[in-house]
Amino acid sequence: MKVIEAEKLCKNFQVKHKEKGMRGSIKSIFHPLTEEICAVDRVSFGVEEGEILAFIGPNGAGKSTTIKMLTGILYPDSGHVEVLGIDPVRRRRQLAYQIGTVFGQKEQLWTHLTPYDNFRFFGAIYDLDNDASEARIAELTEIFALGEFINTPVRNLSLGQRIRCEIVASLIHRPKVLFLDEPTIGLDPVVKENIRILIKQMNKELHTTIFLTSHDIGDIEKLCKRIVIVNAGQIVLDDSMEHLKYHYLNKKIVEIKLQEEASLPPIEGITVLKKKGGNIKFEVDTAVIKINDVLRSIDAERIEDINISNISLENIIMEIYKTEGRENGL
Amino acid sequence: MRKYVVIYQSVLMENLQYTANIAMGFISYLILIFVFIHLWEYMYAAPGDLIAGYTKAQMIWYVMITEMIWFGARSSTIREQVSADIRGGNIAYLVNKPYRYPLYILAKYTGEWNIQLPMYAGLTAVIGITMVGEIPDFHWITLVAAVPCIVLGMTIHAVFKLCIGMLSFWIEDANPFQWLYDKLILVVGTIFPVEIFPAALQPVLKLTPIYTVCYGPAKLIVDFSAGKYLEILLAQMLYLAFGSVILFWIYEKGGRKLYVNGG
Repeated sequence: MKVIEAEKLCKNFQVKHKEKGMRGSIKSIFHPLTEEICAVDRVSFGVEEGEILAFIGPNGAGKSTTIKMLTGILYPDSGHVEVLGIDPVRRRRQLAYQIGTVFGQKEQLWTHLTPYDNFRFFGAIYDLDNDASEARIAELTEIFALGEFINTPVRNLSLGQRIRCEIVASLIHRPKVLFLDEPTIGLDPVVKENIRILIKQMNKELHTTIFLTSHDIGDIEKLCKRIVIVNAGQIVLDDSMEHLKYHYLNKKIVEIKLQEEASLPPIEGITVLKKKGGNIKFEVDTAVIKINDVLRSIDAERIEDINISNISLENIIMEIYKTEGRENGL
Repeated sequence: MRKYVVIYQSVLMENLQYTANIAMGFISYLILIFVFIHLWEYMYAAPGDLIAGYTKAQMIWYVMITEMIWFGARSSTIREQVSADIRGGNIAYLVNKPYRYPLYILAKYTGEWNIQLPMYAGLTAVIGITMVGEIPDFHWITLVAAVPCIVLGMTIHAVFKLCIGMLSFWIEDANPFQWLYDKLILVVGTIFPVEIFPAALQPVLKLTPIYTVCYGPAKLIVDFSAGKYLEILLAQMLYLAFGSVILFWIYEKGGRKLYVNGG
């Protein structure tokens, strides 16, 4: 069952332009110039119940604008959107009871209050009675291990603790869909990992559908089974993570350390990425040449060390950004 | 309704930690009151004089009460937060909660003035009684009767400030309009009672928020009459209804024009 359905969603913004200097400022009073920017251009996709979807793209691609249309914050210029069968534009407040949002760069907690007071506050906002609020706070405090700092004012918490509390505040009303916009931004690797484990646990135990945007490839790789990539307002890829990796696994990164300085013979399917002394790093397109054949072309006696790895997801995504951008004339 | 009570309580809890900061504002209030006490002392040549129907004590108490309302109603939430939320895009993160944003701001503001105003009221009572003496013919019952008028006045003030703040949906900066409104209330509304202005101007002033925000509550405390009480309450209710319709109309229209910086 689809919990999110977007069909040909479009959103344009009017952006003001001003010529430089004082003259430009005066001119803009009498002849204001505006340019229409297409932030989201005919975006269509669906999200299944219980799915964790990565919705990613470079800066300015239209990710956040799409999330804001899905949550009823922004009105689409055209197209149709439904979240849990609710039209976010017409019934934003009704939808608010069914969804949770965490914007990593924006605080929703009241910093002078403790997490406990904040959770009680959010419980009341979502019309939970006192007993239901207390029970839910206890449940989430255990899952997210907040016991140590639940009575410390939010302003005194570390960023990692605060993000955990932000997520809990978004879950207090048992949302069916959780929108996470860069939830791990600015966190150290250990805290990031903890947050990812908690998100995964939440998805598994509470069966919450998660719509995630992040620039952190680790978030995407470890959490999501499906990825939607947007660039310049359009969807350029909508695929499963497994398929995406498989598709790009024909490229391998080979790093070799030779006894003395040497160069690789020019072979089709090999692209040298880096070379310094006896250290060479190159990419092998296994669709063109087998790894075996590449290694045979190098004298095995001269190899001191070798490392063969798959191309990283980060590089795959970067390549998609660039390729799809070019193909779309961006 | 419970959610707005909780918002109100949360602000109250938050602001109770800042009572010392609020008390710092007493300095400006004291300077202002000191100036006006001396000004009216000078204006009233003899103790029995009446100016625009006010005795000297009534006049000074009137100014002290309107200034008390003015200082008690000071709030960055209604003056700056709405504009800043709209211009900075923060409103996007507030409107996706199951409450109405204007009521959320009103609940926050009420939590603020509910601490500020009683503090200023206490100071006003101490300064007034020690420097001016008791209000002539004052009965405690008039104070009780004036409380709903003060609450309505403070709410009307917030509704109009919110309307101005929400102009930020269309214009770059609503602060000049806030400034004009503030100066209208402060200079025209708090310093002189409506009766002191020329007769031709008085009906105009009665149509401005001055009548419902400052004049009404202060007039009732210094010179209570049942007729005036009903007149002011009615005017306040009409004003609040009118202001609320305008506020929600602006909010609904403006919400469709919402532009969020950075997406």
